[in-house]
Amino acid sequence: MNIEAMSLQDFRAKVQQQCEGVPGQELSDEERVRRAKKMFMKKLNGHRAVDLDSCLQCGMCAEACHFYEATQNEKYAPVYKYRPLRRFYRREMSPMRWFYRPFTRDITVEDLKEWRHLVYDACTGCGRCDMICPMGIKISAAIRVVRHGLAAAGYVPDEMRVIRNEQRDQNTLFGVGAEQLKALVAKISAQGVDIPLDREQADVMLLTTAVEVLLFPDTLAASARILNKAGVDWTIRSDAFEAANVGIITGDDPTMALAIRRIVDKAKACSIKTVLMPESGHAYQTMRWEGATEMGEALPFEVLSMPEFISAEIQAGRLNLEARSNGASVTYHDPCRLARKGGVMQQPRDVLAALGLEVRETPTNQRENYCCGGGCGEFVLCGAADLRQKAFEIKKREFDETGADKVVTGCANCRINLMIGADNAGWETPVTSFVETVADRLAN
Amino acid sequence: MTLLEFASGPGLQWALWIFVFGVVWRLIGALFLLSRKDLTKPREYNSVAAGVGAIISRSAPAHAFEKSIRFQHVTGYAWHFALFISVLFFAPHILFFESVLGFSWPHLPNTIILVTAAVAVAVLIALLIRRATHPVQRFISNADDYISIFVVLISLITGILAFAHVGARYETLLAIHLLSVEVMLIWFPFGKLMHAIMTMPARYQAGTAFGRRGIKA
Repeated sequence: MNIEAMSLQDFRAKVQQQCEGVPGQELSDEERVRRAKKMFMKKLNGHRAVDLDSCLQCGMCAEACHFYEATQNEKYAPVYKYRPLRRFYRREMSPMRWFYRPFTRDITVEDLKEWRHLVYDACTGCGRCDMICPMGIKISAAIRVVRHGLAAAGYVPDEMRVIRNEQRDQNTLFGVGAEQLKALVAKISAQGVDIPLDREQADVMLLTTAVEVLLFPDTLAASARILNKAGVDWTIRSDAFEAANVGIITGDDPTMALAIRRIVDKAKACSIKTVLMPESGHAYQTMRWEGATEMGEALPFEVLSMPEFISAEIQAGRLNLEARSNGASVTYHDPCRLARKGGVMQQPRDVLAALGLEVRETPTNQRENYCCGGGCGEFVLCGAADLRQKAFEIKKREFDETGADKVVTGCANCRINLMIGADNAGWETPVTSFVETVADRLAN
Repeated sequence: MTLLEFASGPGLQWALWIFVFGVVWRLIGALFLLSRKDLTKPREYNSVAAGVGAIISRSAPAHAFEKSIRFQHVTGYAWHFALFISVLFFAPHILFFESVLGFSWPHLPNTIILVTAAVAVAVLIALLIRRATHPVQRFISNADDYISIFVVLISLITGILAFAHVGARYETLLAIHLLSVEVMLIWFPFGKLMHAIMTMPARYQAGTAFGRRGIKA
């Protein structure tokens, strides 16, 4: 299929335009520090305390960070990115705080300003550092708490803050709401793909994202074709379709919970048994691995990523694919939040192999895979473009080593970032969607 | 009371009390901070197997990282092995442990202990130099990192001097060695030497957290 989509250039211009002239949050320095510390206190639980008390300061985590590797800037060592949290823990919460306090400097507003760059621009929360730590410290979880603190202090970067506010207040993202989805569904239906929009009852509820609607409508059409082919009783709801969650990206819990609640409530009302997540790593992580805890109850439906769903349908014999390889080879880029943070690693490889494609692995893959460089909302930050491009060079090197014809990935954000990086570098290997790759080989 | 009598009497007792109470206090204080219950549906996994698995698997870096952290990996093993052998298999140490624990075990020849202690000192000095010169380690280091190295290094060096009877009377050297070990014991719960205790719970919780998502930690 070839549904008309917005160009990447136009999308970037739209993001930049959206945040121009938007005033920052007015707070006194004291209030910012107070709010950040209050958030640190709220988020510091037993797990984080054990982690903070275990750190050897060995610095090995730097070797896992793509931003450190790309720049050799020691400030990008992951251990340093959670330094404010460690200082707060030592001064205010550690069982040894009475001893540490005189020797540990308090957090200042200057610290918050400095760490804004370190945890938003220079950290995608990919968690590769979590895999190298000899103590097993969840470094990315500690850095995420710092993001929460900065969000509470009003230091969310403008681009993220604008879209966070948009999702929270208008239930749209990048201007995409119910009307835009309906218009796209009409376009896809006009090309002969049935999309059961706004059904009151169904077994499966497919979610999508504004990014998919604007940039990758073919992916939505491909998901629909796969679901139809498998004979699934499904729907997509124009009033609850947005899987992206800017709350988790920015470190804003109320927005995160609100975005989850919109989906959960609609799924309950429609007696949904499975919520099917689109190609968005962070959306999967949010709903699958945080949704129930955030809602305070077990979810009454299963949450599946597309690779999990497709793999299960193939195994059950409900989805027949044509194994048309023609000698084609692909390499699969593991989205961090689907793979090392979500446990979805084998399924996409099984499916691609079932399509007859030769799957060539990058030197590091699956749980040790390098991030695309723009995860956790980083891809919208205009000021971090150079840093992202440097990180992309690592991916490019890894992809080139495989010699594969195409890069396939299961996350639209990874895809955007890899495509922009490729465009800037004049690198011509196509970066394609996992779901579209599958839909192209549906058996007649 | 001579210096040796103090070092082997009240000095040692106080150091041990501070060590034990400090370790328990810090461990309980961290572990007992509440965590929100994870209500998400786990993949099929065994939490104990995942936790214990992480304790083992994190003893060696994943293949993808091995090359970039080889120095720390090799020196880490060399340091810990040399230290444990020197501490646990030196005949006079075993006599001391027997007086506290009530049982003993075979010792290694003094020549071997001298070699392992020398290796431990050499590796620790190498790690100290690296900490002071490697861009990342130097940048992230604070007083705790250096104090922790020095208190251990001094304990080792004074031990070797006492063993070799070099520099002063044996009783004085032994007293200094005991005092330096006591300083290390007192520092232990306050600084990052505490990692010796925290390794297990930290790795275990990582193992279970990854395990419930179907990921090998």
